[in-house]
Amino acid sequence: MLGYQLRTAAKSLRRDPGHAGLVVLGIALGVAVATLFSAIHHAFARDPVPGKSGSLYYVRLDSWGGDKPHPHRSGLPPQLTFRDATALQRSDIPARQSAMFKATLNVFPEAGQPRRQTARLCSADFFAMFDVPFEYGAGWDRKADAGPEPVVVLSREANERFFGGADSVGRRLRIEEREFRVAGVVGRWPVSIKFYDLTQGAPSPEDLFLPFNFVRPMQIRTSGNTDGWGGSAAPGFEGFLASESTWLQMWVELPTEERARAYKSFLDAYVLDQKKTGRFPRPLHTRLTPLLEWMDEQNAVPPETTAMMAVSLLFLAVCALNLMGLLMAKFLSRGAEIGVRRALGARRLDVFVQHVLECELVALAGGALGFGLAALGLFGVNSLAKAIVLRGDLFRLDLAMAGFAAAAALAAGLVAGLYPALRACRVPPAAHLKLQ
Amino acid sequence: MEFGPIVRAMLRNKVRFGLIVAEIALTLAVVTNCVALILHARGEMSRPSGFDDEALVRVDARQLDTSYRDEGRLDEARRRDVEALRATPGVRSVMNTNFLPWTGGGSSTEVKPLGAPTMLRTQVYATDASVSATLGVALEAGREFTAADAERDAERLRALNATRRERDAAGKVGAADRYLQDVVVSRALAELAFGPGPHLGQLLEDSDGDHYQIVGVIDRFYNPYGWPIHEYVMFYANHVRSYEGGAAFLVRAEPGRAAAVARAIEERLRRPGEAREIQVRLITDVRDKFFGPQRLVSMLMGSVVVLLLAVTAFGVGGLTSFSVTERTRQIGTRRALGATTGAVLRYFLLENWLLTTAGLALGGALAVGLNVLLVSTVAGAKLHAGVVALGMAALWAAGLGAALLPARRAARTSPAVATRNV
Repeated sequence: MLGYQLRTAAKSLRRDPGHAGLVVLGIALGVAVATLFSAIHHAFARDPVPGKSGSLYYVRLDSWGGDKPHPHRSGLPPQLTFRDATALQRSDIPARQSAMFKATLNVFPEAGQPRRQTARLCSADFFAMFDVPFEYGAGWDRKADAGPEPVVVLSREANERFFGGADSVGRRLRIEEREFRVAGVVGRWPVSIKFYDLTQGAPSPEDLFLPFNFVRPMQIRTSGNTDGWGGSAAPGFEGFLASESTWLQMWVELPTEERARAYKSFLDAYVLDQKKTGRFPRPLHTRLTPLLEWMDEQNAVPPETTAMMAVSLLFLAVCALNLMGLLMAKFLSRGAEIGVRRALGARRLDVFVQHVLECELVALAGGALGFGLAALGLFGVNSLAKAIVLRGDLFRLDLAMAGFAAAAALAAGLVAGLYPALRACRVPPAAHLKLQ
Repeated sequence: MEFGPIVRAMLRNKVRFGLIVAEIALTLAVVTNCVALILHARGEMSRPSGFDDEALVRVDARQLDTSYRDEGRLDEARRRDVEALRATPGVRSVMNTNFLPWTGGGSSTEVKPLGAPTMLRTQVYATDASVSATLGVALEAGREFTAADAERDAERLRALNATRRERDAAGKVGAADRYLQDVVVSRALAELAFGPGPHLGQLLEDSDGDHYQIVGVIDRFYNPYGWPIHEYVMFYANHVRSYEGGAAFLVRAEPGRAAAVARAIEERLRRPGEAREIQVRLITDVRDKFFGPQRLVSMLMGSVVVLLLAVTAFGVGGLTSFSVTERTRQIGTRRALGATTGAVLRYFLLENWLLTTAGLALGGALAVGLNVLLVSTVAGAKLHAGVVALGMAALWAAGLGAALLPARRAARTSPAVATRNV
């Protein structure tokens, strides 16, 4: 029966291709705009570590001093001091953990000019914790953390720059005054926001990753935010490391609720212990924030993109209203035909289903065209973004977006077609037959 | 006027006419909110910093070899860079500073008037020359820094950082070790701390207990920051080095010569045999980059507004056209009974006008509702009555324009149609 309905619906569409084309175009336009803006929103809001983001936590301690809480909305400093970050890393409660920060380092390739590159100092766990994909090699192991051993992981771009994109695992690279050995090259890592460091706006992952423990021997300073209170107790770099300056991000992986609770108690105990030495003058306040919540707190999704998505859905609604008018005109002008079908025994339900199917067929065609238009639009947005914010790979259409486009098209078709189909099936057979 | 028959006709066809009303209402709500967002973004973008942005150039010179660990060599390089910059034709003023306008950040600290209960957060930067001359703002009162001030204060700060200072239980340094530094502040900060004034000679203190004395006041200053301290700034005298070695400068060019000066600087600062990276940026480029995302959003919103207006006009036109076709016989009858072309045209235009007006009334309420929702849940700009009025006028015109074609077709209906069987 459904096959017959479908055939009738298709036939009816072919009879007036101009009208059908108009409806398809209408749906396509609405779906294109809705998909385009949803894809932009999706690029920021999507889970960057699918499947395990719930067990990744950002660590904060209120190490602030003075008479007012830290100006961050949470009242907590968003980063940790060096003293606290190194002390916390000694805990064995987390399955994986890494203190980290961003720096700018000079790289001296064998051939060519030295170059300044962005670098992230982190622990071996970083790569497994955030499911970093590798093109060549892998991250370093925990043994290399302790040394620290001079190993480095390169971004795809840095590998292109220094080794022409070849498999560079095992090759040497001079960073500042030291020789490093390449351990791995990061593969395509589709992140639109640097979710593991939301303290600064920069969107792209760093060029180099090296073991955190090089901070001291190489005296590496952060190129991210430093936020402090109280002066340094001692002069020079050691004084900076010992100070109350907060400049480190810290992530832990706690696979079970139980471990999360245990780690939270560990943090509280640590702070209470530090209070005995006169540090942490403010009331006890520690916080473990799951990744997605932290993204939310830091407004990782630009609020404008959410507003734009809402607007684009309303645009789709206006398109659907338009279609409702068009479909009503079409179905009602078909009164005589419907009358004959009904007189020949078609049930109301049959007529209704056939008309709804007709709408959904048109909607699917419109959805497919709209998806294509959205891809085109996204290409345009990406080139604009490349010119304006220097990144042309921020927005992509994926399977989820294709699903969204199909769902949006079907929903719009249903909204637009339901009432006209209802009207069509209510046509009394007798009235139209008489007129003929 | 035929209000009575029109309204009665509408009531018999609630859904079709309701569609037009709903479409107009939704469109008004969306368009006005988009326009409000665009206007808000434009307002942010065109907000003046108070600086002579068009003439400003930022220069970063960084040592790439290990010589950047050597303070003497760095000082020497900086001195040569300042000389080279000052000697570049078209340069009006140069300051060695860590202040880079329009990046959305910078450095900040907390100070308070001596003895006051709460700390105030302010931006803080170092300079070795006149801030007002380089930024192109007014020096309202007092004096500014010279290279000699920077030399002296840099020396004092260096000595201070190399010693261990005694602190009391509250973490403050004792009176003997206390440091007093001259600062030039923005008027907004001076007024925040000390009210209408006088400001010169007033003392501020930080959490260490060190003191800062206001020696100059500049106006105005606006540099967007992560926290709402865009207008508060404190400049002190010092030589500035970036963390990685090298130095940064802000250069003010003669009017209209910024681009040429930027090119000339790149040439002059490149010295053979030195591994250095020279980065020269026009502040207008820095600003454009800062506002990039907002510009992108504005452009996208603008295209949605245009598309939506087109779709709505098309939809209203289509619906009116349908309702004309459907009533051809009726129109023919009216014409046969003596209605003029003008009367028919008027009937359809009036009908459309009523629908559009109803839609706009509903849309006005919807627009405000959507705005409240957007502002409270995500981001949004408050809707001004002017924007709504403008949107209403535009949609009114669009609605009437869209109905004009079908209405004229209706008016041309021949009375003979009434006798035909259609």
